[in-house]
Amino acid sequence: MTNESLVTRPLPKRFITAAIRHPAVVPLGAVFLAVLVGAVIVAAAGLNPIAAYAAVLEGAFDPRSLDYTVSVWAFTCGMALAAAIPLRMGEFNLGGNGQLVLGGLAAVVVAQLSPLPGVLTALLALIAAALLAGAFGAISAPLATRFRIPIIISTLLLSPVAVAVVSFLVRYPLGQPGAAVAQTERLPDAGHLPSFAGLSYSNLGVLIIIAMMVAFAVVDRRTAVGFEIRVLGANRRFGTYGGVHVGRLTFGAMAAAGAAAGIVGAIIVMSPPYRLIDGALISPGYTFAGLAAALLAGGRPALLPVTAALFAVLQVGGASMERSADVPRQLSDVLQGVVIIVLALRTVLDARRTGRSG
Amino acid sequence: MTDPAATLTGISKRYDGVVANDSVDLVLRRGTVHAVMGENGAGKSTLMSILFGLTAPDSGTIVVGGRELRLRGPADAIAAGLGMVHQHFRLFDSMTVAENVVYGAEPSRGMLLDRRTAATRVRELSDRYGLGLDPDATVGRLSAGVRQRVEIVKALHRDADILILDEPTAVLTPDEVTSLFAVIRRAADAGSTVVLVTHKIHEVLAISDEVTVLRAGRVTGRFLTGEVTGRELVEAMTGRDVVSVVNPGRGEIGDIALEVDGITVHERGVTRLADVSLQLRRGEILGVAGVSGNGQHELVEAILGAAATSAGSVRIEGRNVTALDVRRRRAAGLAVIPEDRRGEGTAITMTTAENLSVGHHRSAPIGGSGARRGWLSPSAQRSEAKRLIADYDIRTGSEQTLVGSLSGGNAQKVVIARELSHEAPVLVAEQPTQGVDVGAIESIHRRLLDYRDAGRAVLLVSHEISELQALADRVIVLYSGRVVAEFPKEEATTARIGAAMTGVAERVGGELP
Amino acid sequence: MQVFEWSFVAAVLLAATPVLYASLAGALSAQVGIFNIALEGQMLVGAFAAVVGSYYTGSAWAGVLIAVISTALFSVVLAVGSALWKADPIIIAIGTNLLALGVTGFLLRVLFDVSGTFAPRGLNGLDTMSFLRGVPILGEVFAGQTPLVPLAFVFIVAAGLWLKLTKTGLRLRGVGEHPEASATLGVGVARYQTWVTIAGGGLCGLAGAQLSLGNVSVFTENMTAGRGWIAVAAVMLVAGRPLWLPLACLGFGAAEAFGFRLQGLGAPQQLTDAAPYAITLLVLVATRIRRPRGIRRSA
Repeated sequence: MTNESLVTRPLPKRFITAAIRHPAVVPLGAVFLAVLVGAVIVAAAGLNPIAAYAAVLEGAFDPRSLDYTVSVWAFTCGMALAAAIPLRMGEFNLGGNGQLVLGGLAAVVVAQLSPLPGVLTALLALIAAALLAGAFGAISAPLATRFRIPIIISTLLLSPVAVAVVSFLVRYPLGQPGAAVAQTERLPDAGHLPSFAGLSYSNLGVLIIIAMMVAFAVVDRRTAVGFEIRVLGANRRFGTYGGVHVGRLTFGAMAAAGAAAGIVGAIIVMSPPYRLIDGALISPGYTFAGLAAALLAGGRPALLPVTAALFAVLQVGGASMERSADVPRQLSDVLQGVVIIVLALRTVLDARRTGRSG
Repeated sequence: MTDPAATLTGISKRYDGVVANDSVDLVLRRGTVHAVMGENGAGKSTLMSILFGLTAPDSGTIVVGGRELRLRGPADAIAAGLGMVHQHFRLFDSMTVAENVVYGAEPSRGMLLDRRTAATRVRELSDRYGLGLDPDATVGRLSAGVRQRVEIVKALHRDADILILDEPTAVLTPDEVTSLFAVIRRAADAGSTVVLVTHKIHEVLAISDEVTVLRAGRVTGRFLTGEVTGRELVEAMTGRDVVSVVNPGRGEIGDIALEVDGITVHERGVTRLADVSLQLRRGEILGVAGVSGNGQHELVEAILGAAATSAGSVRIEGRNVTALDVRRRRAAGLAVIPEDRRGEGTAITMTTAENLSVGHHRSAPIGGSGARRGWLSPSAQRSEAKRLIADYDIRTGSEQTLVGSLSGGNAQKVVIARELSHEAPVLVAEQPTQGVDVGAIESIHRRLLDYRDAGRAVLLVSHEISELQALADRVIVLYSGRVVAEFPKEEATTARIGAAMTGVAERVGGELP
Repeated sequence: MQVFEWSFVAAVLLAATPVLYASLAGALSAQVGIFNIALEGQMLVGAFAAVVGSYYTGSAWAGVLIAVISTALFSVVLAVGSALWKADPIIIAIGTNLLALGVTGFLLRVLFDVSGTFAPRGLNGLDTMSFLRGVPILGEVFAGQTPLVPLAFVFIVAAGLWLKLTKTGLRLRGVGEHPEASATLGVGVARYQTWVTIAGGGLCGLAGAQLSLGNVSVFTENMTAGRGWIAVAAVMLVAGRPLWLPLACLGFGAAEAFGFRLQGLGAPQQLTDAAPYAITLLVLVATRIRRPRGIRRSA
């Protein structure tokens, strides 16, 4: 769109065209379409879509369960971060699960072994989680740079290995003998994250995750590193020509992504019930909800909390939707899937519009 | 007198305001080798794309075998008896010669691929034209010369009577060129029509029967090869109005700013650069002439550090940077305007301000310094961008406009503004005015001259002889990866540069035939 | 404990067959140049459709047919989206996997008012080939298996031969290797990619049917439990070449069955969980370790 065309078209149309091109509109469109599709599916099943969506919102924002909703939102944000950082560079991190459980493992080990008082132990546990999970995530970088194994593939393959290792450790060496499920001992008090008065779910962990997101936003927008990552994501060759260190940035981005997931794992473990239970980190599905949120946000830091909120609301409200409107909670998975698919298809339409010239 | 094999009449085509072909007429007679000559951007590739159905002309007619054709795609062209061997081969490396040749037009028995018939066909065509192909060889292991023959047989398999060869000798060794010419001769003698798209004069003189020369989209000469001289061909290809920018001559020439010594680059068995050396001093513009594909881009990448070299060294301001990465070479005093602005020069999904700041983003005022190292100020990014936009007259809605929305000329200005603003001692400018309208060309030329006059060094790589004449203090010519000629400004005539560009100098010691 | 006995072979085949079908679908996609990571979701849809089909018609084979058709239809979005509209197949696949999870769970509730496991009485599963009992070797191996098991091998061999020997097979390989070249030679890239992806969906339908009707007739939410991802790993391991798939999938299946045996001796199940992925990654690294020497890198 050159200056000339801006001048010759009537005013309202300019705004609409500009609005359509705004990066936030594509995801909104995808969400809208998904909601529509969801309504059709619900109606086809003979149920009431309006009641269903109302129940979702009610359930998620019910003052009694707001605590839980916020907690789910925070974990989804954290895992969205793990996906969004590499996404900014144009890479897919499918190894969130592995990074998550390694973080939980590190936290358990530190909490059980640490002689330090509460706050310091918790801090140490978080750092250990970030280091272990971050190192694990960073493995994919030299694999990509030197062995040309795409990050999407190496993270995909490494994740189940990490999950298996942690599962094994939880069952045998670290496991609580005689327990009904495979789980570690309850963490000593030093390893408990301070909770907010009266709340059973949200605790300091929420603030930690919010801090991470703010850090991401700051780095993305206000540091040279963040800028370079975005440049690589926009045009890798251009970045190389401009002197951007591809290998180093890839390493940093993957380490940061792994660390983010690891911290989420540590926080989960250091929150009630203060154990690492085999499979419990993965089963809530934060990893893929986070991935979906990151995709929907296009990796943009400002949109992450919004898209994560969308999926958190769907997840939490899903239970309530099932109770009051009798709509199966799996609808939230359906909606997530549709949103992602619509997003993929709409992005193509968008790409066809920019940059015809030059 | 038999009908011509094909006649193109009044072919015109515009791309985005640039005229690629302007009312071009072309007559291809049966059984002849017809050369279509021109520099880069002369319009010969466009013309061939139109003939082969890859693009539709804005106006004009195509008559093949007496019938006017409406080509909707290559399939139609192939059906009409046209075959094209592209400059960049379209072969399946993992498949055999026979599989590649018959792909898309396979002999079959029911569902099964009839390999025996395919192999027989390949051998038959190969023998008829003297190509010597083995149907069962794996294409990925073959040399460029043999791969080209596979492409030729591909076209012949589809019963092409008109065979278009696009810059066929670009990837061949001299021996392979001789063999190719023998094949072309046999094909023509057998009644096929061969169209040879090339810029190499000595080849045209050696093998063709007729020549059509294009310049700036128009036909500037139609000759019978037997009756034309190399000089006439060069004139038809390169003669141009003198550009109005005046180069007042050199000022002070300073120390050596860039020294390239013995750079050699191999790529997939083909030598792209062979032992290239040059010296560039402060206060001078060194022009690098040559038709695209003779190693210029590889030279730029070797200097920048974006590609590997197998031998040779690069020194910037006396420092040996051969082992250094791109960032450190830039820090040593290098700026580069790459030729592919969308692929290498800009990020079209980022804003103008962001594009302008790459390379500056780690130093003040955009980046921090001292205690604030590593930080970046978006507001400084924007204000710096506004400054450059005003200074270079970049037509954009705002500094936040995505570069992908800018016109070609303005996007190029973004690249130039950014690179010049580094004020690096050495500036490499590769095709800086490509796809840019005339008004902007003048201002870009002015900038480059001012840059030099400020005591810096400029390496100007260009396909346009006139641009080099307007700006360069010295001109070297690259041909097939080697420096084949060097001229000081006074001796850099169109005829001499053109001759060197087309390989004549190499063959006949600098004298035109 | 005798490791190599027929019951072991049977266990391996049982574990490997769904992965064989799914990885064949993935390998064919790879041959046409589409990286398909939706195998997990496709298989799940197939498993569900097979059970639904069998439940309503009373016939297991009808269930299989319905599974094939449903999964093929389900794959249309992936096929058209990536082949025709050139959208990113990875993102579409991520959405597809989530959608499959949601839709199957949703329908489970809506149709049967069941959550978790659906194992109605009288649900007809596929019969084993007991008529083979007594036949030497073949009988030992296949008598306790459904016909879908040997069929998987038939499909794989057929696919491998088809790619090498037929006209369409050649074109397909060309589309994946060099789409631009194919297009200029008149071979419609989008067309081949679309149909191969849809056919792959059909194969995943068979995978799912074998999973839900092939042993114990039941559908459990998310019953594919990562098999689709093992199929993705298998495709990478064999670099998309179908004829090598049995080696990879049976190898993975053997690891799983062996693992079950070893569990009795105290060895961790997690070892076999992780094995397919670890092996694939190691092989990928090993095959790319060789780099040309003698070129000075300055970038």
